[in-house]
Amino acid sequence: MTEAQSALLLRKQLAELKKNPSEGFSAGLIDDNDIYKWEVLIIGPPDTLYEGGFFKAHLYFPREYPLRPPKLKFISDIWHPNIEKNGDVCISILHEPGDDKYGYEKASERWLPIHTVETIMISVISMLADPNDESPANVDSAKEWREDYNGEFKRKVQMSVRKSQEEAWD
Amino acid sequence: MGNCLQTSTSDDINLLRDSESSNTRDTSPEQLDPPPPYQEAVRPTVPVYHTAPNVTRPATQLTEEEQVRIAQRIGLIQHLPTGIYDGSKKNRECVICMYEFQYGDTVRFLPCMHTYHTHCIDDWLMRSFTCPSCMEPVDAALLTTYETN
Ligand SMILES: [Zn+2]
Ligand SMILES: [Zn+2]
Repeated sequence: MTEAQSALLLRKQLAELKKNPSEGFSAGLIDDNDIYKWEVLIIGPPDTLYEGGFFKAHLYFPREYPLRPPKLKFISDIWHPNIEKNGDVCISILHEPGDDKYGYEKASERWLPIHTVETIMISVISMLADPNDESPANVDSAKEWREDYNGEFKRKVQMSVRKSQEEAWD
Repeated sequence: MGNCLQTSTSDDINLLRDSESSNTRDTSPEQLDPPPPYQEAVRPTVPVYHTAPNVTRPATQLTEEEQVRIAQRIGLIQHLPTGIYDGSKKNRECVICMYEFQYGDTVRFLPCMHTYHTHCIDDWLMRSFTCPSCMEPVDAALLTTYETN
């Protein structure tokens, strides 16, 4: 995949998302001159603690996209077991491809070149609704999620929801 | 879904990492897969290896195991049938580049019957030997094909 091809593929997705916006998120470029850096606004999924939030995140695509995955980083503060405190998102579909001979992850759970901004966002939204605490990126958050869901965990998530709402209307 | 604590160990066996992520290059040899038994027969003579159109790594920077695995992988990919797109209705779009096939495009057929542009799928197969659409491991399917023949 040459640089021109990856840029073409991303431009195509951007045009399609502008024409047919997806439910659950909106997407655009951080800088109109750089097709490899996207800004997405993720709407907190209904019936979850994140409902009502508008979370900003950045996607950084490598020149080898779609052979290699982008990196995803939340810019808005968000409290979640699978999101590091600095915003980096840890989901297996964003893991580099490769033949994992040790069998920790099935190939199907890893990056595939058919993933688009839309399918990545669908995975992220489902991660918000349904955290995986087996391999947390934010250990404190995972502990609270397990042990104090309606207390400390809920309080911190609601704080991030409120903060994201204030920032969204800036 | 998560599994982030595992990647640092499982990813460093990926022999196709490019310069951007080369911080795992100095992996000790013990962590690499043991060379397959028929290693001698397929030892490559190619001095330079192109991991991707814009990534070239001199063979001297690859371990012997990596060279052997690359040569084997190239050999396996070459075994997969190719053809010229003839306008058949079954496969219209290459899901990697998201473009519709045009008459005359060179396409590769995987054992699972999924079809892609040769240049789109070959780069992917060097990274992961699975069909992007159905996740079927290509080598397993190839072996089955050999056995039934
Ligand atoms: Zn293609
Ligand atoms: Zn397939």
